[in-house]
Order: sequence, then C-alpha cells, then structure tokens
Amino acid sequence: MQRLDRMFESSTRSLAQRTSRRSFIGVLGRILTGSLLVPLLPIDRIDRAEAAAGPEGSPEKGSAGARGQSVGKPHTEDQQNCEYWKYCAIDGFLCSCCGGSSHTCPPGTQMSVVSWIGTCHNPVDGRDYIVSYNDCCGKASCGNCYCFRNERERPLYRLSRNNDVNWCMANTGGDYHCTVSVILGSSGS
Amino acid sequence: MRTFQAWAAPLALLATGWAAGSEPLPPEQFGMEPLPARTPHRIYVVDSAIMNEIDSRVRVFDADAHRFLGQIDAGFFPGVTVSPDGNTIAVGTTYFARGGHGERTDVVEFTDAATLAVTGEIVLPTKRLQATPTYLNLGYSSDSHFLYAAYVTPAASFGVLDPAGKRVLGEIDTAGCVMVIPWGPDHVSSICDNGRLLTVTLDAKGNEVARALSDKFFDVDTDPLFVQGIPTDRGYTFLTFLGQVHEVDLSGPMPMIHPSWPLVNAGEAGHWRPGGEQMGAIQRRLGRLYVAMHRGEEGSHKEGGTEIWVFDLNTHRRLARWPVAALKLAPVEALQVSQDEAPLLFLGSDDGAVATLDALTGRLRRVDRSLGPNPSQILNP
Repeated sequence: MQRLDRMFESSTRSLAQRTSRRSFIGVLGRILTGSLLVPLLPIDRIDRAEAAAGPEGSPEKGSAGARGQSVGKPHTEDQQNCEYWKYCAIDGFLCSCCGGSSHTCPPGTQMSVVSWIGTCHNPVDGRDYIVSYNDCCGKASCGNCYCFRNERERPLYRLSRNNDVNWCMANTGGDYHCTVSVILGSSGS
Repeated sequence: MRTFQAWAAPLALLATGWAAGSEPLPPEQFGMEPLPARTPHRIYVVDSAIMNEIDSRVRVFDADAHRFLGQIDAGFFPGVTVSPDGNTIAVGTTYFARGGHGERTDVVEFTDAATLAVTGEIVLPTKRLQATPTYLNLGYSSDSHFLYAAYVTPAASFGVLDPAGKRVLGEIDTAGCVMVIPWGPDHVSSICDNGRLLTVTLDAKGNEVARALSDKFFDVDTDPLFVQGIPTDRGYTFLTFLGQVHEVDLSGPMPMIHPSWPLVNAGEAGHWRPGGEQMGAIQRRLGRLYVAMHRGEEGSHKEGGTEIWVFDLNTHRRLARWPVAALKLAPVEALQVSQDEAPLLFLGSDDGAVATLDALTGRLRRVDRSLGPNPSQILNP
C-alpha cells in the first residue's frame, strides 16, 4: 500500500480514536473533499498483483456465490451487476437496483455521513480508483441485487476498510437500505 | 361436468354418514408449550435476516429431538451472548420507532433460557456496535457481575453494564481498538489495528483502573486477524485470513499470546483459507479445532467453507478433512461444536440449512431448514 493511501487510513483511524462523532464527520468530509483534488491517488496494488498471479485453485473468475454474486474479476458495464468494477468491496444491496444509481441514493433515503473505502481496478481504462462506499439509510433493507464482494476489505479494527458494520450508524434514526459507490479519484487522473 | 355432479351427491351422503358414526374430537385446552429442559445439544442459531435486517431472530433448537423449540427476537444487527450459568440469553440490538425508520433505541434484552420469556432490559446510549454477530460484540464478565457491550460510532469504546441492576454503569474509551473480550471478573481486551490487544482493568464499580497494550502478534497488512474469536478453557483462539492460529491465554494477570501455527502446509498456503461468518469452533475436552476452509484468494475471507478441517490442538496435526458437498450441503458460514462427551458438530450453510454431524466421525445425522435463511452464528453454551 502506498504512502497517501496509508495516510488516508491513518487519518480516519486517528479521528475515530480521538474525536467526537460530530467533529469526526466534519474532518472526514474535508478529507474526502480534499482527496478529489489530489492529482495522483495512491492505490493498493499488492493484493491485486497477488490475485492476478492466479493462485492454484482460485475460484473461477466471475463466479457467483450462493449468498450473492461473489468473488471474481469484474468486467461488465452493467451497473446493476455485482461484477461491475466499482463494486469490488461491497457487501450489501446495490442502490442501482433500488431506485438510485451506482452513486446516488434512492428517493427518500439519506446518504450515510460516514463511509468505508475501497480501491478498485477499472478494466476498461486500466486505471485504479479509490471508491467511497456509502450506505443509504432510513428505509428497510431494499432486498434487490445483493452483492457480496470483499476485495481488500478488512476486519472491524481497520474500520475505514470494513463493510461488516452498519455505516448508517452515525445518521439519525434509520435502517440500512442499500449501498452506493462513489469515485473519489484515480491513479491516472 | 354433469357426470361429476351425478356422482358427487351420493359420495357426499356416504361421507356424512361415516362421519356421523365416529366420535367427535374432544374440546382442546388452549395453552402454552413448556420449554423442555436444557440439554448439551440445545443450540441458539442467530439468523441475521439479510433480506430484512431489522428482523433478526435467534432460533432455539434441540439437536437430539430435531425440534424447533422457540424463538428470541433479535432486531437489527444483534450481538448475542449467554450468561456463564447458561440461564440467560442477552441480546444487544437496535429498534427503530417506525420499523425501518424513526427514533433509534439501542438496548440489551434478557431472555430466560428456561421459558424464553423476556425478563428485563437495559437501554443503551445509541452507540452500540451494529455489525456481524460474533462472540465479542457483547459479553459477560466471568462472575456475571458486569456485561460489556462494544460501541462504534465510529469512535470506539465499550459500555460497562450491570446485568443484575439493569443499568449502564459507564463507558470506557478504547482508542480505536474494537470488540469486547471479557476475561476474569474485571478485565476486557479489545483488538487494535496495530496488531495488539488493549486490556482495560476495572474496579468493582466498573471504572477503569489500568490499561496495557500487548506485544504485536499479527499484521493487518499482510495477514489480517478475524475478529471472530473462539472461546477456549484459558482464553480465546483467533484465526487469520491466510490460516494462522493465534492462541491467547487469558488465565494470567495479562494476555499471553502463544507462538502462532498454520492450518495449511506450504502447498496449500494462500490457496486454502478459512472463511465465513463463524469460521471456527473448539471442542475443549477433546482439544479439537474445527475450521470452515475454502479454496480462495484476496477478498474470499467471507466465503463459506467447502470443507471442514479438524485439528488436534496439542500436536497441531490435521486429523480430518470433511468435504461438505459430500453431505449435499452448501458452503458453511457458521459452525459450532458441543462440549459434552458425545459431541455434535453444527454447520450453518449459506443456503439456510443447519446440519448436525457426529463431531468425532463427521457422519451426518440430520439437516434442518427451519432455522432461518441466514444462520450467521451458532451458540452452544
């Protein structure tokens, strides 16, 4: 993992450790906004290199697990398909199947004020992107297009990379509905 | 049609005459089924209800009688634990006032294990960790004096609760470390991103009196530690994404972490991995570790096990590999083993089945599909 990527994680962890929820959200917002301006974003290539080497016995590419569409290398432009490249670290319902799009929440829901981060490779332009995964909140589970991919997802103690927690946690009163994926920047932009 | 009508009338008369000649069913007494006495093979199956997450349940099942005994409501992203005496099931959960929306209430609800009636609750600050159920979301101190609830807002801390007095005693900041690993009457450890355990010591009123960090024993960048700790006689055992076993001894004054050992040999390393929601269980009397394993790669750490691997905890030797497809089961997301002398292995598969096996031989006894669509955790106190 390269330096700025590590700095980003360090910042979010440090904030989680030291600040109140409100100030955490404010500072995180500034970091996310600032990250859009960074011309060359760092991407974690270590794990992807490992995966590309194709370990003996790895699952068939694009295979679907029983819990949903699962581990595999995305290569589709269909944003209602779990294999769409931007969804590389989602464990939840795709908002594009719930009245929203890949990056917008369905009408009447609220976007989570905190989020987790993934680094995904777009096979069309060959670039790596940092993606913010936000939950859309305030309505019961959508139930459509359950997507189960966890590339570079990490356990709860690395919270900024974790998708096992309810990211609607800091919103005011409301269930988890679905998940959007928002591009923050790319390695080549 | 006309032919049918011609036959129907005499047939109806015949049936009426036969019924009139038999005794009517006696009146029934409306009542409630008593819960059978607890056995070593009673399990509590946490159904996380992925398609409607505000409606999780705990299903109570008797694996000897193959009988669904009852249900405990579990709300939204529950953490479930059983008191050390086995008499109370505590469910930490969240409810919204209007179903999927409205005011949020975080609460621990207590259920009597002898009746399945809710006997009390503690309302929490709205900070409770809402995450995949594990042993370490909610837990009792060894003497049941305290109950600890993990909080993430996303700032990390834990609540110290008084289960007898049904009140919140306080909150301990954990500096970004997460989960509650209770040990002894007054210690709680949490897992930190820097690969260490943070241990907080409490006084009799639940206030912090000391804290200490362990040595680093895992590296999240190279081989992350699953947070699904497995209870042992002396502490907890943790597995890593790539299949290392870390045994944490909590029987002394501070955590002692034994040298790790691998589940996989050199040829299997990186290819065969543990995975799922509750990927390991230990039969303490036999000293056997059961792990759900799959062939995978980066990102496959939540994939269910296609095989159950059995290890001797003393020699670290693998004793058996049990492919679950041979049992006509889908990959295993959760597993548990009973602690009695005729132990059973319970497997929760990702298509909603719960299978019961002989834990000594791997022989399938029964598959049950009445315990909810998403058996994410199985408890057998």
